[in-house]
Amino acid sequence: MSTPLLEIQDLHAEIDGKEILKGISLTINKGQVHALMGPNGSGKSTLSNALLGHPKYKITQGKILFNGQDITDWKTDARARAGIFLGFQYPIAVSGVSVANFVRTAMKSCAGANFQAKEFRKEFKAAMSALGVEESFATRYVNDGFSGGEKKRLEILQMTMLKPTLAILDETDSGLDIDALKTVSEGINRLRGPELGILLITHYQRLLNYILPDVVHVFVDGKIVRSGGKELALELEAKGYAPYEKTAVTA
Amino acid sequence: MLTHPSQKTALDQFNALPWPEKTSEEWRRSDLAGLIAADNGDGAFSVRWDAVPPEMIHAGVILTDLTTALKQFPGLVAEYLFKTGTPRGLTKFALQNQALTRQGLFCYIPDGVHVDLPMHSWIEPAGNGSPLFPRVLVVVGEGASATLIDERRSPADSTAMLCNEFTEVLLKADAKFSYIRLQRWNESARELFGHRAVLKRNAHYSHIQIGLGGEMSKANLETILSETGAKADLLGILFGSGKQHFDFNTLQAHEAPHTTSDLLYKSVLKDTAKSIYTGLIRIEKEAKQTDAYQDNRSLLLSQGAKADSIPRLEILTDDVQCKHGVAVGPVDEDQVFYLMSRGLPRAEAERLIVSGFFNSVLSRVPVEALREELAASVSQRI
Ligand SMILES: Nc1ncnc2c1ncn2[C@@H]1O[C@H](COP(=O)(O)OP(=O)(O)OP(=O)(O)O)[C@@H](O)[C@H]1O
Ligand SMILES: [Mg+2]
Repeated sequence: MSTPLLEIQDLHAEIDGKEILKGISLTINKGQVHALMGPNGSGKSTLSNALLGHPKYKITQGKILFNGQDITDWKTDARARAGIFLGFQYPIAVSGVSVANFVRTAMKSCAGANFQAKEFRKEFKAAMSALGVEESFATRYVNDGFSGGEKKRLEILQMTMLKPTLAILDETDSGLDIDALKTVSEGINRLRGPELGILLITHYQRLLNYILPDVVHVFVDGKIVRSGGKELALELEAKGYAPYEKTAVTA
Repeated sequence: MLTHPSQKTALDQFNALPWPEKTSEEWRRSDLAGLIAADNGDGAFSVRWDAVPPEMIHAGVILTDLTTALKQFPGLVAEYLFKTGTPRGLTKFALQNQALTRQGLFCYIPDGVHVDLPMHSWIEPAGNGSPLFPRVLVVVGEGASATLIDERRSPADSTAMLCNEFTEVLLKADAKFSYIRLQRWNESARELFGHRAVLKRNAHYSHIQIGLGGEMSKANLETILSETGAKADLLGILFGSGKQHFDFNTLQAHEAPHTTSDLLYKSVLKDTAKSIYTGLIRIEKEAKQTDAYQDNRSLLLSQGAKADSIPRLEILTDDVQCKHGVAVGPVDEDQVFYLMSRGLPRAEAERLIVSGFFNSVLSRVPVEALREELAASVSQRI
């Protein structure tokens, strides 16, 4: 068997001394899509940020292996250059920096000497038109005054250009109208292949109609409480998280 | 000396006026002693410029050094030199410059002439260690327009230098002028820098200060909107690292109705660099229906870096639009994380954030080609 793409082993993480991730183990193989569903505040974004090494989140126990390598102590940029991408739930505005300049700089950082300016321009244009964004998008400042939908498109535009091997998509579907959801999902599907693993965080089973997951995980209070197939998402839609929220009931 | 009659008077006034108190509002945040010239200087420096196109010279445009101008166009220089009035700030130093200057830059655009391509000049010390007293005089005629990039450089091997510079700008009615001062002194240079621009009816002045070099840069920049309809865009970019110290004071003096001034200064400071910004908007009783804005923002890249910002308003009339803003803070760690999550090393992420921060100033530079050139100079410095 080949090495898993991502292996999270008993991961515990805290923020400001408060434990948010309480022992997560999860394995994603190349080519797989894993959906992660859980109530607000359960720690899904914390997991995404911890996987990218956000300095605010302190890992107190456990390990993250990427292609078999222990990356638990790696800096954020090294993880990105190794092929991990995070589609942010709340993308950050960087005023004064144009989308084109930003994406070009990111590509240069990742490709190093292999970066080809001419290729970049061609690819960038094609990626924009595939995601249905106007050319003027390139000269706007990163996420500055973007609508919710535009922000999410920009995340997928970056993913398209950076070609990661692991994409963590944190509620990429939230804030999208029906047409945008379709365009963005198609954008993600175009990138699927035998090399790419995806961790898809969502509240809605709707997205999973477009992007068929191999595994669905139920995430409650910093832990994965159940894993199953696509039908689990349907079950959650019908019954909610109540059956899993033992702690909430006794508290 | 330039052998200009007013220089003798200026010297007497300079001698009669005491040095400012170290504890005065103007000096309590910056080291005065380091800026007082030990001798009355004969610091040699060169004034250079790119040749102005022949058709512009035919049209009467003059771009040359001040001594040459005084020889070739004595009447013209005499008509305008030392005529913009006594500055409110750094007065003693302005008198010193007026008394002792013997060289500088002269730029003259006759009425109605449009100089399309930006002109380019620069001043560089010859490095004999004595203080420099350069004088810049710009006159833009009625309805004329031009852009000048005026650079300050140090030779690669140059040692410490003290420079006391003064610039006078006169914009006649309907004149349009962009003046970009690109300061790239070496890291041991100390400068005092006075500036007074007088804007006549409907004149439009864009003044862009780019401060990248120097150990100490103390500036007093005054813009006088003296007649109705005058408009000034006052922009500044300061980047300091090491122990660099910037102390900038600005004056937006509205003396006539329907005048507009819009100031935006941004500084980025690293290591233990420091910037002090003080700015006064003064609106005289006559200056009704005036718009005046002032915004100063600083980004601190290290814990030891510091920025002070003190805006002031003196409004002697009503019926004006006046706003000022101040913001000082470290880089936003969420932005850094976002950029690093795309593969940018921290230093590269900060560089991009800084260039974005300056972009709101650079995007207001009127000439597109210039914008890129300036962005390149700034990003090279970062
Ligand atoms: N930077 C932070 N500072 C303080 N508390 C935080 C921070 N980030 C997360 N938390 C806390 O950690 C907990 C988990 O938050 P997280 O954002 O990971 O939840 P989530 O599952 O992504 O929720 P949602 O579905 O609403 O996006 C919450 O209680 C939240 O308040
Ligand atoms: Mg979340």
